[in-house]
Amino acid sequence: MMTCNRTLSLLLAGGMALSAVPAVARDYILAPARPNKLVVVDTEAMAIDKVITLAEDAGPQPAVPVVDDEGRFAYVTINRTESIVKVDLTTGETVARTDFSSAGERVKTLFGMDLSPDGSTLAVYQSPVTLGTTHYEVQPTRIAFVDTATLETVKTVEAPRQITLLMYSADGSRIYGMGRSMFVFDAASGDQIDEMPIHGWKPDAYMQPDVLDVWSQFESSNIMVTPFYTARTDLSLDDPEAWRTGMLTLDLESGEMEMQDIRMMDVFYFSSAASPDGTRVYGAYNVLESFDMEKVEPLKRVALPHSYYSVNVSSDGNTVWLGGALSDLAAYDAETLERKGQVDMPDGAAMSLSNIRLFQRDE
Amino acid sequence: MKHLTPANSKAKAFVEAQAEGREDEVVAMNSLVGCTTSFDPGWEVDAFGALSNLCQPMEADLYGCADPCWWPAQVADTLNTYPNWSDDATNVTEDWRNLQSVFPEPKG
Repeated sequence: MMTCNRTLSLLLAGGMALSAVPAVARDYILAPARPNKLVVVDTEAMAIDKVITLAEDAGPQPAVPVVDDEGRFAYVTINRTESIVKVDLTTGETVARTDFSSAGERVKTLFGMDLSPDGSTLAVYQSPVTLGTTHYEVQPTRIAFVDTATLETVKTVEAPRQITLLMYSADGSRIYGMGRSMFVFDAASGDQIDEMPIHGWKPDAYMQPDVLDVWSQFESSNIMVTPFYTARTDLSLDDPEAWRTGMLTLDLESGEMEMQDIRMMDVFYFSSAASPDGTRVYGAYNVLESFDMEKVEPLKRVALPHSYYSVNVSSDGNTVWLGGALSDLAAYDAETLERKGQVDMPDGAAMSLSNIRLFQRDE
Repeated sequence: MKHLTPANSKAKAFVEAQAEGREDEVVAMNSLVGCTTSFDPGWEVDAFGALSNLCQPMEADLYGCADPCWWPAQVADTLNTYPNWSDDATNVTEDWRNLQSVFPEPKG
C-alpha cells in the first residue's frame, strides 16, 4: 500500500508553483498536557518549542487537537470535550471558541474530530444528552460540521452510535467514521453512503473482532491503522495459536480498507501508526513492535519503560514517537527500535488519553 | 399531596416540579443511568488473566481511565462528576498521593 503524505503533497505543489526551491518543512509535535497546556515540540531539536496555556476551564485535559496544513492553527477539544478552541500556535493566543453544551443539553465530543483538507470545516462527532429535572435522555449521536473561520456549527447530521474516530478522505469528499463498522459519509451532505464491516469481518473464519482506537494519528501517512483482536474459529480456544492480533488499515487516499491477521495475540497494542510509505506499522503500549505490511508479519519488538498510548511516525519515516499516558515523548529509531531520546512535558504533566499530533511547518 | 411527605430526592424533585406545573418532567428510572456502561475487564486483571498487559505503572492509566469516564467505579470520573479530582496531581507519577477517594454528594 503506497500513499502520499497529504501535507507533503500540498507543500511540494505549492513550492513548485511559487519557487524553484521548495520550502523545507520541519516536523513538530503538538502534545496536550495536564491541566490546560498545549506543548509544541521541535522534533529535530528534540526540545520544547512553545508551551501554550489555554483557558482555565480547558482541563482536566485538552483532549483532541488537529492542526492545519500550514502548522499555524490548532483546533482543540477542551472543557471535558464540550468545547473547541482555535489556537494560533505561533502566538499562543486562543482566537476563537465554541461551547456545544447549553443549559438543557450536555454535548460531549470525546474522540472523533478531523479537519477537512481545504481547512474550511471541522467534522466533530457529538454525543448529546438532554438534562431533565430528574433524568437524562440520551439523544441520537451526530456529526457536527463546524466552520473553522468562526467556529459556528453549520449543520449537524445524525450518525451511528459508538463511533470513535472521524477521518476525512484525502480529497475531502468523504468522511470515515470508525465504529462497529467503518461508516462512510458524504462530506458535503453528511449522508451515510457506505458501510464496511469491522465486527462483521470474516465471521466464518474469525470471532467478532475487538477494536479500541481513540487516537487520531494518521497525518504522516494518510493511513489510519488500528490493531484488532480476535480468535480463529477453526482452532480450539485452548490453543494459544487460536488467539490473533490483526491490523485494520484504511487508506485515506484510495478509500481501501483491509483487515489482516498478522500474528498470535500475546500482548496488546493500544494504538498504532503507519510509516509514510505504508510499508511499516508500529504498535505501542507496554512494548513497541514493528510490522512489515507487505509480508504481513511482525518484524521486531522491544520492551518499553512504561505504558505509552500513542504512536506517531516522522515524515521521513525514520523516527517513531511515543506519547500519552505519562509525561514524556519518546523517540525510537524506526528500523532498530532503539531509543534515541525523549522530551519531558513541563512539570511532569501527564498527557493522559490525549491525541498527540504530528504537524509540519516551513522553515 | 397534603397527606404525603417526600422522603427522597426524587420525591422532593416531584413536589417542586408539581408546584411549577412541570410534573411530567419527573420520570421513573427504567434503565441503567450513568456516563458509562463499560463492563470490560482490564483494571484489576488483564484479558490474559494476568497483570503484564495492564498499564505499567498503574499511574500511567489513572487519567486515561478518569478522563473519558471509562471505569467510574475504579477511578473518579473527571468527565462529568469530579472534574477537579486531579487538580493537585498534574504530575501523576510524583503526586498520586494527592488523589483522594470520592463520595457522591448527598441529595435531597
